[in-house]
Amino acid sequence: MMKSEVKEFLDNFNKAMLQEIGKFLYLVRDKHYQKGAIDKLNALKQQAVNLKEKMISEADEENANILLSVENITEAIINELKMWIALKEDRVDEAWDYLVDAQSAIRTASQAHVIALKLNGEKYANKLHLIEKLIFPPQIFFSPALVVEEARCSICDKDYEECEHIVGKAYLGKICYRIITKMRQEEVSVVTNPANKRARVLTITEENMTRDYMTWRIIRDEEK
Amino acid sequence: MIKVENYVNVEEKAQKLNLNIPSQIAVLPRNFKTATNKEELIHAPTTPTVRKLWKQNNIRETPIEKHGEKIPCSAEKAFEWIGPIIFISSLLLSQNPHLVNIALNVISNYLTEWFRGVPYNERKAKLSIVLKTRSGDYKEIKYEGFPDGLDVLQEILRRIHDEK
Repeated sequence: MMKSEVKEFLDNFNKAMLQEIGKFLYLVRDKHYQKGAIDKLNALKQQAVNLKEKMISEADEENANILLSVENITEAIINELKMWIALKEDRVDEAWDYLVDAQSAIRTASQAHVIALKLNGEKYANKLHLIEKLIFPPQIFFSPALVVEEARCSICDKDYEECEHIVGKAYLGKICYRIITKMRQEEVSVVTNPANKRARVLTITEENMTRDYMTWRIIRDEEK
Repeated sequence: MIKVENYVNVEEKAQKLNLNIPSQIAVLPRNFKTATNKEELIHAPTTPTVRKLWKQNNIRETPIEKHGEKIPCSAEKAFEWIGPIIFISSLLLSQNPHLVNIALNVISNYLTEWFRGVPYNERKAKLSIVLKTRSGDYKEIKYEGFPDGLDVLQEILRRIHDEK
Protein backbone atom coordinates (compact mmCIF):
# COMPACT_ATOMS: atom_id res chain seq x y z
CA MET A 1 0.00 0.00 0.00
CA MET A 2 1.28 3.44 -0.93
CA LYS A 3 2.21 5.55 2.10
CA SER A 4 0.79 9.07 2.34
CA GLU A 5 4.23 10.72 2.20
CA VAL A 6 5.05 8.77 -0.98
CA LYS A 7 1.69 9.75 -2.50
CA GLU A 8 2.33 13.39 -1.62
CA PHE A 9 5.76 13.21 -3.27
CA LEU A 10 4.24 11.63 -6.40
CA ASP A 11 1.58 14.38 -6.59
CA ASN A 12 4.34 17.01 -6.45
CA PHE A 13 6.37 15.09 -9.04
CA ASN A 14 3.40 14.92 -11.45
CA LYS A 15 2.62 18.61 -10.92
CA ALA A 16 6.25 19.60 -11.60
CA MET A 17 6.34 17.43 -14.74
CA LEU A 18 3.13 18.96 -16.08
CA GLN A 19 3.75 22.59 -15.20
CA GLU A 20 7.51 23.10 -15.11
CA ILE A 21 9.41 20.36 -16.96
CA GLY A 22 7.38 18.65 -19.70
CA LYS A 23 7.26 21.75 -21.90
CA PHE A 24 11.06 21.76 -22.25
CA LEU A 25 11.42 18.21 -23.57
CA TYR A 26 11.83 19.37 -27.18
CA LEU A 27 14.91 20.07 -29.30
CA VAL A 28 14.00 23.70 -30.10
CA ARG A 29 13.41 24.88 -26.52
CA ASP A 30 16.06 27.29 -25.26
CA LYS A 31 18.87 25.42 -23.50
CA HIS A 32 18.85 27.80 -20.51
CA TYR A 33 15.30 26.73 -19.69
CA GLN A 34 16.33 23.12 -20.21
CA LYS A 35 19.22 23.55 -17.75
CA GLY A 36 16.74 25.03 -15.26
CA ALA A 37 14.51 21.97 -15.75
CA ILE A 38 17.50 19.69 -15.05
CA ASP A 39 18.10 21.55 -11.75
CA LYS A 40 14.45 21.02 -10.74
CA LEU A 41 14.65 17.33 -11.71
CA ASN A 42 17.86 16.85 -9.72
CA ALA A 43 16.09 18.29 -6.66
CA LEU A 44 13.13 15.91 -7.23
CA LYS A 45 15.50 12.98 -7.70
CA GLN A 46 17.23 13.77 -4.43
CA GLN A 47 13.86 13.86 -2.66
CA ALA A 48 13.01 10.46 -4.18
CA VAL A 49 16.37 9.04 -3.03
CA ASN A 50 15.95 10.40 0.51
CA LEU A 51 12.41 9.04 0.79
CA LYS A 52 13.55 5.70 -0.67
CA GLU A 53 16.29 5.42 1.96
CA LYS A 54 13.65 6.05 4.63
CA MET A 55 11.45 3.28 3.19
CA ILE A 56 14.46 0.93 3.06
CA SER A 57 15.19 1.66 6.72
CA GLU A 58 11.56 0.78 7.49
CA ALA A 59 11.86 -2.43 5.37
CA ASP A 60 8.91 -1.21 3.25
CA GLU A 61 9.71 -2.97 -0.03
CA GLU A 62 6.65 -1.81 -1.97
CA ASN A 63 7.25 1.90 -1.34
CA ALA A 64 11.03 1.60 -1.71
CA ASN A 65 10.49 0.06 -5.18
CA ILE A 66 7.97 2.78 -6.14
CA LEU A 67 10.59 5.40 -5.26
CA LEU A 68 13.34 3.49 -7.11
CA SER A 69 11.07 3.61 -10.14
CA VAL A 70 10.42 7.36 -9.84
CA GLU A 71 14.12 8.03 -9.21
CA ASN A 72 14.92 6.30 -12.50
CA ILE A 73 12.14 8.07 -14.42
CA THR A 74 13.65 11.35 -13.22
CA GLU A 75 17.12 10.14 -14.27
CA ALA A 76 15.79 9.26 -17.73
CA ILE A 77 14.26 12.73 -18.24
CA ILE A 78 17.43 14.46 -17.00
CA ASN A 79 19.38 12.49 -19.60
CA GLU A 80 16.89 13.38 -22.34
CA LEU A 81 17.31 17.09 -21.55
CA LYS A 82 21.11 16.72 -21.48
CA MET A 83 20.87 15.00 -24.87
CA TRP A 84 18.96 17.93 -26.44
CA ILE A 85 21.45 20.43 -24.97
CA ALA A 86 24.44 18.39 -26.17
CA LEU A 87 22.96 18.19 -29.69
CA LYS A 88 22.53 21.97 -29.81
CA GLU A 89 26.14 22.39 -28.64
CA ASP A 90 27.38 19.98 -31.34
CA ARG A 91 28.50 17.37 -28.79
CA VAL A 92 26.87 14.51 -30.68
CA ASP A 93 28.79 11.60 -29.15
CA GLU A 94 27.81 12.78 -25.67
CA ALA A 95 24.23 13.22 -26.89
CA TRP A 96 24.19 9.56 -27.96
CA ASP A 97 25.49 8.46 -24.54
CA TYR A 98 22.77 10.52 -22.81
CA LEU A 99 20.13 8.86 -24.96
CA VAL A 100 21.47 5.40 -24.09
CA ASP A 101 21.48 6.33 -20.39
CA ALA A 102 17.89 7.60 -20.67
CA GLN A 103 16.79 4.33 -22.28
CA SER A 104 18.55 2.33 -19.61
CA ALA A 105 16.98 4.39 -16.79
CA ILE A 106 13.42 4.11 -18.12
CA ARG A 107 13.88 0.35 -18.41
CA THR A 108 15.09 0.11 -14.81
CA ALA A 109 12.15 2.30 -13.74
CA SER A 110 9.72 -0.01 -15.55
CA GLN A 111 11.25 -3.17 -14.09
CA ALA A 112 11.34 -1.72 -10.57
CA HIS A 113 7.60 -1.12 -10.15
CA VAL A 114 4.38 -0.97 -12.18
CA ILE A 115 4.02 2.67 -11.10
CA ALA A 116 6.20 3.43 -14.15
CA LEU A 117 3.39 2.17 -16.41
CA LYS A 118 0.92 4.49 -14.67
CA LEU A 119 3.37 7.35 -15.20
CA ASN A 120 3.47 6.57 -18.96
CA GLY A 121 6.84 4.81 -18.81
CA GLU A 122 6.06 2.62 -21.84
CA LYS A 123 5.10 5.64 -23.96
CA TYR A 124 8.26 7.39 -22.85
CA ALA A 125 10.37 4.34 -23.82
CA ASN A 126 8.74 4.46 -27.27
CA LYS A 127 9.54 8.18 -27.56
CA LEU A 128 13.22 7.51 -26.78
CA HIS A 129 13.25 4.71 -29.35
CA LEU A 130 11.84 7.08 -31.99
CA ILE A 131 14.44 9.72 -31.09
CA GLU A 132 17.17 7.10 -31.61
CA LYS A 133 15.83 6.18 -35.04
CA LEU A 134 14.99 9.72 -36.27
CA ILE A 135 17.78 11.87 -34.85
CA PHE A 136 20.79 9.57 -35.08
CA PRO A 137 22.09 7.63 -38.11
CA PRO A 138 22.08 3.82 -37.89
CA GLN A 139 25.04 2.67 -35.80
CA ILE A 140 27.37 -0.31 -36.02
CA PHE A 141 27.84 -2.00 -32.66
CA PHE A 142 30.41 -4.37 -31.24
CA SER A 143 29.68 -7.01 -28.71
CA PRO A 144 32.13 -9.29 -26.92
CA ALA A 145 31.17 -12.95 -26.45
CA LEU A 146 32.17 -13.79 -22.88
CA VAL A 147 32.18 -17.01 -20.92
CA VAL A 148 31.28 -16.26 -17.33
CA GLU A 149 33.07 -18.47 -14.82
CA GLU A 150 31.96 -16.59 -11.70
CA ALA A 151 29.26 -13.99 -11.13
CA ARG A 152 27.93 -12.48 -7.92
CA CYS A 153 24.49 -11.14 -7.09
CA SER A 154 24.27 -7.34 -6.70
CA ILE A 155 21.73 -7.73 -3.88
CA CYS A 156 23.35 -10.28 -1.53
CA ASP A 157 26.89 -10.60 -2.97
CA LYS A 158 26.59 -14.40 -3.04
CA ASP A 159 27.33 -16.54 -6.10
CA TYR A 160 24.45 -15.64 -8.48
CA GLU A 161 23.77 -19.33 -9.11
CA GLU A 162 23.25 -19.98 -5.42
CA CYS A 163 21.09 -17.12 -4.16
CA GLU A 164 17.35 -16.50 -4.52
CA HIS A 165 17.45 -13.14 -6.31
CA ILE A 166 16.47 -12.79 -9.95
CA VAL A 167 18.12 -10.45 -12.47
CA GLY A 168 15.86 -7.53 -13.42
CA LYS A 169 13.67 -7.70 -10.31
CA ALA A 170 13.65 -5.06 -7.59
CA TYR A 171 14.36 -5.95 -3.96
CA LEU A 172 13.84 -3.28 -1.31
CA GLY A 173 14.72 -0.35 -3.57
CA LYS A 174 17.51 -2.04 -5.54
CA ILE A 175 17.51 -3.80 -8.92
CA CYS A 176 19.20 -7.19 -9.09
CA TYR A 177 21.96 -7.64 -11.65
CA ARG A 178 24.91 -10.00 -12.10
CA ILE A 179 28.40 -8.76 -11.27
CA ILE A 180 30.82 -10.77 -13.39
CA THR A 181 33.95 -11.48 -11.35
CA LYS A 182 35.71 -14.09 -13.49
CA MET A 183 35.36 -14.51 -17.23
CA ARG A 184 37.16 -15.22 -20.48
CA GLN A 185 36.61 -13.64 -23.86
CA GLU A 186 35.79 -15.82 -26.87
CA GLU A 187 35.34 -13.32 -29.70
CA VAL A 188 34.04 -9.87 -30.63
CA SER A 189 31.08 -9.69 -33.00
CA VAL A 190 29.42 -6.94 -34.99
CA VAL A 191 25.75 -6.87 -34.00
CA THR A 192 22.72 -4.77 -34.89
CA ASN A 193 20.93 -4.94 -31.55
CA PRO A 194 23.59 -5.10 -28.83
CA ALA A 195 23.39 -5.51 -25.08
CA ASN A 196 25.48 -2.32 -24.77
CA LYS A 197 24.79 0.52 -27.24
CA ARG A 198 27.87 2.44 -26.13
CA ALA A 199 30.20 -0.07 -27.81
CA ARG A 200 29.91 1.32 -31.35
CA VAL A 201 32.02 2.29 -34.34
CA LEU A 202 33.40 5.82 -33.78
CA THR A 203 35.35 6.41 -36.99
CA ILE A 204 35.55 4.82 -40.41
CA THR A 205 38.52 4.95 -42.81
CA GLU A 206 38.07 4.62 -46.57
CA GLU A 207 40.67 5.44 -49.23
CA ASN A 208 43.01 7.05 -46.68
CA MET A 209 40.26 9.31 -45.37
CA THR A 210 38.95 8.94 -41.82
CA ARG A 211 35.49 10.18 -40.94
CA ASP A 212 33.57 10.54 -37.70
CA TYR A 213 30.86 7.86 -38.06
CA MET A 214 28.27 10.01 -36.30
CA THR A 215 28.82 13.43 -37.96
CA TRP A 216 30.56 12.21 -41.16
CA ARG A 217 33.14 14.98 -40.68
CA ILE A 218 36.67 14.28 -41.97
CA ILE A 219 39.13 13.73 -39.14
CA ARG A 220 42.60 15.06 -39.89
CA ASP A 221 45.72 13.15 -38.84
CA GLU A 222 46.48 15.53 -35.95
CA GLU A 223 42.97 14.98 -34.52
CA LYS A 224 43.21 11.16 -34.50
CA MET B 1 9.34 -18.17 -35.96
CA ILE B 2 9.49 -21.84 -35.05
CA LYS B 3 11.94 -24.34 -36.49
CA VAL B 4 12.02 -28.06 -35.77
CA GLU B 5 15.30 -29.95 -36.17
CA ASN B 6 16.59 -33.40 -35.33
CA TYR B 7 18.55 -33.62 -32.07
CA VAL B 8 20.97 -36.10 -30.57
CA ASN B 9 19.84 -38.86 -28.21
CA VAL B 10 19.97 -36.89 -24.95
CA GLU B 11 20.40 -39.85 -22.60
CA GLU B 12 23.23 -41.37 -24.67
CA LYS B 13 25.00 -38.02 -25.08
CA ALA B 14 24.72 -37.24 -21.35
CA GLN B 15 26.22 -40.64 -20.54
CA LYS B 16 29.03 -40.10 -23.07
CA LEU B 17 29.89 -36.73 -21.51
CA ASN B 18 29.72 -38.21 -18.00
CA LEU B 19 26.75 -36.06 -16.97
CA ASN B 20 23.61 -36.86 -15.01
CA ILE B 21 20.93 -38.33 -17.27
CA PRO B 22 17.93 -36.01 -17.24
CA SER B 23 14.78 -37.75 -16.11
CA GLN B 24 11.95 -35.19 -16.22
CA ILE B 25 12.87 -31.61 -17.06
CA ALA B 26 16.41 -30.25 -17.42
CA VAL B 27 18.46 -27.45 -18.87
CA LEU B 28 20.99 -28.49 -21.51
CA PRO B 29 24.12 -26.48 -22.32
CA ARG B 30 23.84 -24.50 -25.57
CA ASN B 31 26.50 -26.69 -27.25
CA PHE B 32 25.33 -30.03 -25.80
CA LYS B 33 24.67 -31.42 -29.28
CA THR B 34 28.18 -30.74 -30.64
CA ALA B 35 30.43 -30.91 -27.55
CA THR B 36 32.94 -33.74 -27.55
CA ASN B 37 33.89 -33.45 -23.88
CA LYS B 38 32.49 -32.00 -20.66
CA GLU B 39 35.01 -29.13 -20.48
CA GLU B 40 33.65 -27.60 -23.72
CA LEU B 41 30.12 -27.19 -22.36
CA ILE B 42 28.66 -23.69 -21.92
CA HIS B 43 25.21 -22.81 -20.64
CA ALA B 44 23.06 -20.02 -22.10
CA PRO B 45 23.35 -16.67 -20.22
CA THR B 46 19.89 -17.07 -18.70
CA THR B 47 20.28 -20.63 -17.38
CA PRO B 48 20.84 -19.67 -13.70
CA THR B 49 17.80 -17.37 -13.80
CA VAL B 50 15.53 -20.02 -15.35
CA ARG B 51 16.67 -22.53 -12.74
CA LYS B 52 15.84 -20.10 -9.92
CA LEU B 53 12.43 -19.31 -11.41
CA TRP B 54 11.62 -23.02 -11.59
CA LYS B 55 12.85 -23.65 -8.06
CA GLN B 56 10.69 -20.80 -6.72
CA ASN B 57 7.69 -22.32 -8.52
CA ASN B 58 8.33 -25.89 -7.29
CA ILE B 59 9.45 -27.24 -10.64
CA ARG B 60 12.03 -29.92 -9.93
CA GLU B 61 14.80 -30.02 -12.51
CA THR B 62 17.42 -32.75 -12.92
CA PRO B 63 20.70 -30.83 -13.09
CA ILE B 64 22.88 -32.49 -15.69
CA GLU B 65 25.96 -31.40 -13.74
CA LYS B 66 27.25 -33.99 -11.28
CA HIS B 67 27.22 -32.88 -7.65
CA GLY B 68 29.88 -30.20 -7.06
CA GLU B 69 30.52 -29.63 -10.76
CA LYS B 70 29.79 -26.39 -12.58
CA ILE B 71 29.30 -25.52 -16.24
CA PRO B 72 30.08 -21.86 -17.10
CA CYS B 73 27.52 -19.58 -18.75
CA SER B 74 27.91 -17.24 -21.69
CA ALA B 75 27.19 -13.53 -21.18
CA GLU B 76 24.55 -11.53 -23.01
CA LYS B 77 26.03 -9.96 -26.14
CA ALA B 78 22.76 -9.04 -27.81
CA PHE B 79 19.75 -7.18 -26.52
CA GLU B 80 17.43 -10.16 -27.02
CA TRP B 81 16.68 -12.66 -24.23
CA ILE B 82 18.47 -15.89 -25.03
CA GLY B 83 16.92 -18.73 -23.12
CA PRO B 84 18.42 -22.14 -22.49
CA ILE B 85 17.74 -25.45 -24.26
CA ILE B 86 15.09 -27.16 -22.16
CA PHE B 87 14.83 -30.95 -22.21
CA ILE B 88 11.40 -32.38 -21.45
CA SER B 89 11.09 -36.12 -21.03
CA SER B 90 8.46 -38.13 -22.82
CA LEU B 91 7.14 -39.33 -19.47
CA LEU B 92 6.60 -35.78 -18.22
CA LEU B 93 4.88 -34.70 -21.42
CA SER B 94 2.48 -37.60 -21.43
CA GLN B 95 1.84 -37.99 -17.71
CA ASN B 96 2.17 -34.46 -16.35
CA PRO B 97 1.67 -31.92 -19.16
CA HIS B 98 0.39 -29.46 -16.56
CA LEU B 99 3.91 -29.20 -15.13
CA VAL B 100 5.32 -28.48 -18.59
CA ASN B 101 2.78 -25.66 -18.97
CA ILE B 102 3.80 -24.20 -15.60
CA ALA B 103 7.52 -24.42 -16.48
CA LEU B 104 6.93 -22.45 -19.69
CA ASN B 105 4.43 -20.00 -18.15
CA VAL B 106 6.92 -19.11 -15.42
CA ILE B 107 9.42 -18.08 -18.12
CA SER B 108 6.78 -16.25 -20.14
CA ASN B 109 5.59 -14.28 -17.09
CA TYR B 110 9.16 -13.37 -16.17
CA LEU B 111 9.76 -12.08 -19.70
CA THR B 112 6.72 -9.81 -19.46
CA GLU B 113 8.42 -8.07 -16.53
CA TRP B 114 11.93 -8.34 -18.00
CA PHE B 115 10.95 -6.47 -21.18
CA ARG B 116 9.05 -3.67 -19.42
CA GLY B 117 10.35 -0.31 -20.62
CA VAL B 118 11.40 -1.78 -23.98
CA PRO B 119 9.36 -0.85 -27.11
CA TYR B 120 7.22 -3.84 -28.16
CA ASN B 121 8.90 -4.33 -31.54
CA GLU B 122 12.32 -4.53 -29.88
CA ARG B 123 11.31 -7.39 -27.58
CA LYS B 124 12.75 -10.66 -28.79
CA ALA B 125 13.24 -13.99 -27.06
CA LYS B 126 14.94 -17.21 -28.13
CA LEU B 127 14.23 -20.55 -26.54
CA SER B 128 14.71 -24.19 -27.53
CA ILE B 129 12.93 -27.27 -26.31
CA VAL B 130 14.18 -30.80 -26.86
CA LEU B 131 11.90 -33.78 -26.55
CA LYS B 132 11.64 -37.41 -27.51
CA THR B 133 8.74 -38.23 -29.80
CA ARG B 134 6.57 -41.33 -29.44
CA SER B 135 8.51 -42.83 -32.36
CA GLY B 136 11.76 -42.46 -30.39
CA ASP B 137 13.33 -39.58 -32.33
CA TYR B 138 14.75 -36.53 -30.55
CA LYS B 139 13.55 -33.17 -31.86
CA GLU B 140 14.62 -29.61 -31.05
CA ILE B 141 11.88 -26.99 -31.32
CA LYS B 142 13.52 -23.57 -31.71
CA TYR B 143 11.45 -20.48 -30.93
CA GLU B 144 12.51 -16.97 -31.89
CA GLY B 145 10.13 -14.04 -31.64
CA PHE B 146 8.05 -11.86 -29.35
CA PRO B 147 8.08 -13.15 -25.76
CA ASP B 148 4.28 -13.36 -25.61
CA GLY B 149 4.39 -15.80 -28.53
CA LEU B 150 5.96 -18.46 -26.29
CA ASP B 151 2.43 -19.54 -25.38
CA VAL B 152 2.07 -21.34 -28.72
CA LEU B 153 4.89 -23.73 -27.80
CA GLN B 154 2.78 -25.83 -25.47
CA GLU B 155 0.45 -27.03 -28.24
CA ILE B 156 3.33 -27.51 -30.70
CA LEU B 157 5.22 -29.66 -28.18
CA ARG B 158 2.28 -31.96 -27.77
CA ARG B 159 1.81 -32.26 -31.54
CA ILE B 160 5.48 -33.06 -32.19
CA HIS B 161 5.62 -35.48 -29.27
CA ASP B 162 2.65 -37.41 -30.66
CA GLU B 163 4.09 -37.61 -34.19
CA LYS B 164 4.69 -41.14 -35.37
